[in-house]
Amino acid sequence: MALHTVEFDIKLNTGTITIDVPTHTGVVGSSDMEVLMEPKDLEGGVSVRIVTPVTGFDDLWKRVLDKFVNETALSDTRIEINDNNATPAVVLLRLRQAFSQATTD
Amino acid sequence: MSKWNDLQEHSFLESNARDRALGIVDDGTFTELAGPFDRLSSPHLELLGDAVAFDDGLVSGVGRIGKTPVFVVSQEGRFIGGSIGEVGGAKMANTIKLAIDFHDKLVADYPDLSEEEKPVLVISFETGGVRLHESNAGLLAHAEVMDLFQKARGKVPVISLIGSKVGCFGGMGFVAAATDVIIMSEFGRLGLTGPEVIEQEMGKEEFDSSDRALVFRTTGGRHKYIIGDANFLVADTIAAFREKVAELAPLPVAAFEEMRRVGSPETVERQVRGVALAAEMHPQDARDVWAKAGNDDPASLTDMPLAAFLGQVKRLSV
Repeated sequence: MALHTVEFDIKLNTGTITIDVPTHTGVVGSSDMEVLMEPKDLEGGVSVRIVTPVTGFDDLWKRVLDKFVNETALSDTRIEINDNNATPAVVLLRLRQAFSQATTD
Repeated sequence: MSKWNDLQEHSFLESNARDRALGIVDDGTFTELAGPFDRLSSPHLELLGDAVAFDDGLVSGVGRIGKTPVFVVSQEGRFIGGSIGEVGGAKMANTIKLAIDFHDKLVADYPDLSEEEKPVLVISFETGGVRLHESNAGLLAHAEVMDLFQKARGKVPVISLIGSKVGCFGGMGFVAAATDVIIMSEFGRLGLTGPEVIEQEMGKEEFDSSDRALVFRTTGGRHKYIIGDANFLVADTIAAFREKVAELAPLPVAAFEEMRRVGSPETVERQVRGVALAAEMHPQDARDVWAKAGNDDPASLTDMPLAAFLGQVKRLSV
């Protein structure tokens, strides 16, 4: 009944990009999500925390985040997500938005 | 974060709560208080297994328009209909409290302050009222906010902005009515019981909530402007709302007292005359009221462009 929390770390050997500023993107509307992205010293890693009403998709979350971290070569970043039934495509879109906000502001 | 310049010509209707808060004050002056990085989300929703938000669907903060400090509350309709729960309610109440305390301190420290330099409070409503998941806390917040409006009276003018998708309904309809001045766009909707609830309780013959034209001419900005529930009707851009707030902000606090709908023997008498008129007229449609206000061709008012509407509309006086 209570909300489901998924937590994991991703570490790439090729991760070199860091973000400049903490950023917040998105609204927890139906089928949507919000994300906080903050620079944090994680020895080159990315740590992720997802809070969602949905269970049974932990592997899928991991795959989407892996894809995002791989394509951006992100490192030393803390990602926190409040999800409300967003599809993987929406998740990836919001992550990319947050990343572009955090690196261009 | 969105760029201030880009926001100005954005549709107010389609803007999220944070963009509205950011865009309503001067460029670069908005400071969010109790924002998403403070991670104040609802403990009740979490227990119920419902999605939570880092800001609980309410943006609060402070900025400036010209020389006027502007405290801002902005509700996010996409998060559970902009409903007010414990955390969002506390953020709203505390922003008002902060505005009053700030005013008192400012006036005590600088007795010869001009009207323009005294703070105002702006609330961008987008809500259906109490969040039913945490109803007691939500109701309490409504009461607290109304109480604080009374404390703010004569000190901090309270300006309502209504032009967002969800509209302003339920308990927050009462709250908006208790503010000093209401600015709406024609896409804003204001009422107590929402259209769907009326249909559910009274039947489709009483009110067909799927008839959007009917819904808008009964609860929408144009109707509210004609009957005097809204003081001002502006275009659907953040800039238009902002201009109107900038125009009002330097006014002396006494000027705001004259714009109120409730809270004095005169306004009570006006409300009673309005009820008597409704009983006498038995209007079947909002257009009957528009005709009563002296508009010869009420049907034409619905679709004409805003400028033409504002140029020729006659408003009800009771």
